[in-house]
Formats: sequence, structure tokens, C-alpha cells
Amino acid sequence: MPSEVEILLVDDSPEDVELTVLALRRSKICNKIQIAEDGVEALDYLFCRGSYKDRSFCFPPKLILLDLKLPKVDGMEVLRTIRADARTRTIPVVILTSSKEQNDVIDGYNLGVNAYIQKPVDFEKFSDTIRQVGMFWMLINQAPPAGQAPLARASTAGGSVPSA
Amino acid sequence: MALMDVVSCVSHMSLTSKSIAASALVILLSIGVLSFRSTVRDEEDRAWVTHTHLVLEKLQAVLIDITEAETGQRGYLLTGEEEYLEPYQAGLDHVHRDIQELRELTSDNPRQRDAIQRLEPLIEARLAGLAAWMEIRRRAGLMAAAEAVTKGNSGELMNEIREGIGEMRHTERQLLGKRLETATASTRKMKVVIVLGNALAILILLMAGFVIHREAGRRHLAEQRLEKVNEHLGRRTAALLEANSEMESFSYSVSHDLRAPLRQIGGYSHVLVQDYGSQLDAEARRYLEKVQDGARKMGRLVDELLSLSKIGRQELSFEETSLDSPVRQVVEDLVPECSGRDVEWRIGELFSVECDPGLMKQVFMNLLSNAVKYTGKREHAVIEVGTTMQNGERTIFVRDNGVGFEMQYVGKLFGVFQRLHKARDFEGTGVGLAIVQRIIRRHGGRIWAEAELDHGATFYFTLGSPENESPKKPELAVNHEVIHA
Repeated sequence: MPSEVEILLVDDSPEDVELTVLALRRSKICNKIQIAEDGVEALDYLFCRGSYKDRSFCFPPKLILLDLKLPKVDGMEVLRTIRADARTRTIPVVILTSSKEQNDVIDGYNLGVNAYIQKPVDFEKFSDTIRQVGMFWMLINQAPPAGQAPLARASTAGGSVPSA
Repeated sequence: MALMDVVSCVSHMSLTSKSIAASALVILLSIGVLSFRSTVRDEEDRAWVTHTHLVLEKLQAVLIDITEAETGQRGYLLTGEEEYLEPYQAGLDHVHRDIQELRELTSDNPRQRDAIQRLEPLIEARLAGLAAWMEIRRRAGLMAAAEAVTKGNSGELMNEIREGIGEMRHTERQLLGKRLETATASTRKMKVVIVLGNALAILILLMAGFVIHREAGRRHLAEQRLEKVNEHLGRRTAALLEANSEMESFSYSVSHDLRAPLRQIGGYSHVLVQDYGSQLDAEARRYLEKVQDGARKMGRLVDELLSLSKIGRQELSFEETSLDSPVRQVVEDLVPECSGRDVEWRIGELFSVECDPGLMKQVFMNLLSNAVKYTGKREHAVIEVGTTMQNGERTIFVRDNGVGFEMQYVGKLFGVFQRLHKARDFEGTGVGLAIVQRIIRRHGGRIWAEAELDHGATFYFTLGSPENESPKKPELAVNHEVIHA
């Protein structure tokens, strides 16, 4: 599908969003980027509710880039919710944040994040990092079969949603 | 267990209490010895009294024995019947036995011994007389015997014997009197010793009780004081913990909030140069580059400040580590940076020590990258790592032949943001050596430097854990490993 979203970028800073999108576009890896400015919007998008109620579960993003410090529902909570639901559990999530506090790193991995990256201050390093992340998750990594597979497996297991 | 208690008690007593306890021990021991000795003495005196009674009894027994023999003999004389011979014979046996015993009993007394010597022939004569009359009775009959008895002077002999024994008894009675007196006196003395001794012991106990009470009071006071100090410490610790956590949240927000705008400054100016560079003149592009440089530099500063504050807060994880391995890793990291330069690495053998390996690597990284940086203008750079003894402590040194510095500024060397060189000559944030010093101090060690302008610098440091005090290599390490970059 041509309109299929490839990356969900969750970040509340419009400047960081713009710079990230710039970096992704320039590296020519991905053009289909969905922006969520807070945790609630990210969850609404992923679970097809609120203003995204017309969206289908069949087309989950291939990658979620998640900031931690977010308004309303913070990044860790978003991660917890994604990992707790069988429909979203297999989507690769990369934390992309300014913090490299050890506790955040440990909490992130405990909640099942796929990678933890601190945004470099230097823009050249930043765009290089974004380029590498995009390259790895969009091109090199073998993504889980889109949407249906984890859902089907969950329903054969009785439809129950095991907690993460 | 009880002995241990006593020992620990004694070791905790004050000097006064110890001397009181020592004198109490001496007094109690003396009382014991005195009581024992007077008891023994009393027993001895009583034994002498008993002995005297025994002598008196024996003397009486001798008289009775003779009388017994006489009675038997008289019966025989009158009746001629053999059955009277039995008491007679028993009397004879007893006399000899008793005299023998008497002799033994009085062997300590010459006067009584002499008296027995005098008495014995008289008794023998008397007994011989008895035997002679019995012989006459047996051979010539009752009348002849009666005649012989009448003629004999048996009464006189018996009187002499009685007198002799009487005298001995008199002597012995006098002795008895004296000995009784002595025994009574020693008993009295013993009683005095025991009563006084016990009184003294009670007094010592009372004193000990008083001393213990006083010590307990003092201890109680000290405990109360300690409790107060602890309380105070607890409050202080809580305040410090709060300050620490405030600092942590501060550094978190510095890390998060300061970095984002910096990234924007750098990022947008970068994009501006890339996308609109062609529309700008050279001067405008130079300004934009300055903006980017500034953002980059501030980013580095923020990162280094964060790592400095992190070293102050983080728990060190100590393990026995050979310092050779972090040095080797750091040199391997730095060698590519020196490509195109002539750098001689002289790496001596270091030692093993309890330390945080990650932080020690950072120490060597900061010191050695400084050495690389400040030898940058040397044609042939020499960077050396080794051990030496300084004031009996194993010391590690990092030496270079770089630009060095003036010793008058050495005090500023380890301060945060302190730089001894112009930014134009050598880049840097002025945080690296502050980080090194903080790591060394957290290991209980010291760091100092010696240098001369244009003649290189040497940094020395020790690691204060107790293992470091027993030197394994007192000499400067000589087996250098030379790596040419």
C-alpha cells in the first residue's frame, strides 16, 4: 500500500521532529513518517481510536521512534502499553531521547525496548545516528510479518492478552 | 564466655577502676592466705592438746596395766588356779605395749623421756617380783608364797612407781595448760582474721559496687550523648541525601533540557548552510560556522560536566585489576589519532590493585590523550607510563615531552574549567583533569604534577587502598615496551 506509514515518531519538540524528519528524508530511507506529539496521540494512533478510529490494525508502523519526556502519558508508559498488547507487541521500538540516565536505560530494556539511543547534540552526528537507525530497522532488520501474524497467534491462544 | 566477659570488662575500665580492682584482688588474696594460715596453725595447736591428752591417758593406762597384772597374780596366789594367769598375762602384755607407745609419744620431750627411763626399771622390778612369787606358789604352795609376799618390799616399789607416774602426769598437765592456752589464743586470732577479712571483703564489694554504679552512670551519659550525635548525623545524612537527589534531578534536567536547544542551534545552522549556503556570502557562512562551533563546544562541556557530576555520585565497583590492561586499551584507542605523527610509547609494567576498572580506564584516557594533545607540536613525541616509589607509596606516572606548563600555575591544574593554554593553541574544555582528580580521590589516592614550560609534564598518582602500601616493585620499571605510532 502506498499510504502505509513506515515510522511513527513520538516527540513533543517540533524542532527535534523537524530535524529528525530532515535527517530521515535526506538519507532517503523513508518518507512515510507519522508524527505523534504526546503519548496519548501515539497510543490513539497505534490502537486505532480517537481521531484515528478509522485506521486499521492491519498496517502497524515498521518502527516506533520514542522520546521519553512526553506530555500527558510519558514514553515509558507508552512502551509498557505497546508491549502489553499482543497486537502491538512485536513492533520494533527505539527510544530516542536526550537522557542517558542509567535508570531510564534499565527501565527501557526491562520493558522490552529494542534499542536505546541518546540524541547527539552535534547535528552531523545526530543525522548520522538517525540515518543508521533508519537503515538498520527499515532495510537490514527482518521485520515481523505485517499485522496479522501476531494477532492470529494471539487468537489461537484463546484471545487472552498476556501481560508483558 | 564468662572469662571473655571479664576480659572485655577489664579492657573497658578506666585507670582508677583498674587500680581499685587490682588492690581489691590483692587484699582478698591476702585475707585468704592469712585465714588459711591461721586455720592450719589452730589445727596444729589442737593436735598438740590432743597429743598431751593421749600421753596422760597412757600414763594412767600403765598404772592400770600393772594393777591388772597384780590382780591376776593375787588370784593365782590365793587359789592356784590357772584361769587367773590370763588377766595376769594380759596385764603384762599391755604394760609393755603402753610403755612402748609412751616412749614414742614423748620422744619430743627429753624430760619425760628421762622420767620413762627411770620408771622402766622400777616397773620391770615390780613385774619380776610378781613372777617370782607366782613361781614360789607353783612350786612350794600357798603358805610359802604368802610368806615371800609378806617379806618382800612390794608396797614401797609400787609407791615409787606411782610417784614416778604422778610426776610425769604433773609435767604433762602443765604442758596441757600451756598448749590449751596457745590453742585458745590461735583460735581467737583465727576468728579475728576471719571476721576482719570478711568485713574488709564486704567493704571492697561495696566499693566495687559504687565504682560500677559510677561507671554505669558515666556510660549512660556517654550513650545519651552518642544518641544525640547519631540523631544529628541522621538528620544531616537525610539533608545530604536530599541535596544529592536534588543535584541528580538538576543534572538530569541539564542533560535533557540543555541538550535539546543546543541540538536545534547546531542543527538549524547546519541545514541553513547546506540548503541556503549558495545564497549567502562568505562572511555570513563564517558566522554560521561559528554558531555551529559554539553549539558543538557547549555540547561537549555539558557532557563532560555531567560525567564529572556522575563520578561524584556513582557507586564504585571495586575489583582486583591489573592496571596494565586499561593502559593497553587506551593506547590502542589513541594510536590511530597519532597517525602521521612520530610518537614513541614507553609503557612500563604496572601492578594489580583494587579499583573500579572503568574509571581507571577513564583516568588513563584523560591523562594519555592530554599527553598526545600537548606533544602535538613535537617532531618526536615520547609518552611514558610507569611506576615509581614516592614517600614509600607505589606511584604511577604519566610523562610526556610536550609543551608542559609553568609550575606557578600548578594549583589551577585540576580545577573545573581551568586551562593553562590558549584555546587557539590547544582545544579543550578544562574538565578532563578535574574528572581524573575526582576519580583518584574517590579511590583514596592523590594526584600531583611536575612540569617545566616547553620541557614536558609528568603526572603522578597513588591509589590509597591498603594493598598499595606493600610495594612489589620498588624500582622504576625498566623493561619498557616501545610502540612507534
